[in-house]
Amino acid sequence: MRKERIMPEFLEAMVGKFTFTVALDRQYNAEGVWALAEGNWVRIGLSDFLQQRSGDVAFAEVRPEGTEVKAGEEVAVIETIKVNIGLTSPLSGTVVEVNPAVTSAPEAINQDPYGAGWLARLEAAHWEADRAQLLTAAAYFDKMKGEAEEESSKV
Amino acid sequence: MSMSGRKAVVVPCSGIGKTYGTVAREAAYILTEDLRPAETGLVALSLLVMGDAAARDEVAACPAITLDGCKLACATKMVRESGGTVAKELDMLDAFRRNRAFKPQGIAELNEAGRMLAQAVAEEASAVVDSLPPATPGQGERRHA
Repeated sequence: MRKERIMPEFLEAMVGKFTFTVALDRQYNAEGVWALAEGNWVRIGLSDFLQQRSGDVAFAEVRPEGTEVKAGEEVAVIETIKVNIGLTSPLSGTVVEVNPAVTSAPEAINQDPYGAGWLARLEAAHWEADRAQLLTAAAYFDKMKGEAEEESSKV
Repeated sequence: MSMSGRKAVVVPCSGIGKTYGTVAREAAYILTEDLRPAETGLVALSLLVMGDAAARDEVAACPAITLDGCKLACATKMVRESGGTVAKELDMLDAFRRNRAFKPQGIAELNEAGRMLAQAVAEEASAVVDSLPPATPGQGERRHA
C-alpha cells in the first residue's frame, strides 16, 4: 500500500550552531509538547527544541492506553543522556494509542520529533477549550527562540 | 611490544567532557588492559583524525571494534575513513538501553553505575574479540617505519 506523508511547513531558527524547527500545523504548550488535531483524536509529541535541549532519548514511557489525563498532568516520561523529564499533556483526554516506536526505538523522538517520533494519540475531552490555552506555532517559535538564545548566551 | 596474536584494535570515542565518551574510553581500557590484553590494542581516535600514519597502519592491519559515545559515531567513521574494517561498532547509549540499571554520571570520574556500564561494554566487546578468527602471521604488525 502506498503511504503518503504530508510534510508540514516549518519555522526555522538558527541559534549559535544549532537549528531549531517549529512545525506550523500544530499548537504547543509552554514546555514544548505539541498537539495536532486529527478528527476527534489529538496526536502529541515533543518539539524539535525540546528534544534537542533534552538530549538523546534512552527510554520513553507513555501512560498506557485507557489512561485519562488532564491538561497539565504528566502524560509521559523520557530519560535522556542528560536528564529525566516528565512531559505534561497539552490537553485533557484519554490515551487511545501509544506510539510503539517510542518504546522500541526511542531515538525516533530525536530523529523525527514531528513525525515518526510522536508519543501518543488522545481522545480529547474538550479540545476547543484546551486548544485556546495553547500557543500557536508562531507564539511558540518566539518563546522557544528566546529560551534558546538565553541558553546559548550562558555557554 | 610485539603485536603478534593481536586480533583486533579498539578505537574509543575521544570526546572529553562527555559522560558517554568517558564510558567508551573506560570500556576500552578494561578490554585492552584487563580482559583481552594479548588479543587487542588501543588506538587513539585523535591520531586517526590527525592522519597519523602509524595509527592508520594499525587500523588497516586488524579488524576494529569501535566504541562511540554519541550518534555522531566519530570512532566508526574515522576507522572507515582511515581504511580500516569495523568488526563491531558499539554505541554507548544503546549499551545503556541494554543495561538500564547502569545510568552513567560524571565526566572526569564515572559513578559506580558508569563503571559497571563500562565493564558490561568491555565484556560485550571481549565476546566480539573471541568470535574473530585467529590472528594470521604478521597481522597487527605495523608496516609504517
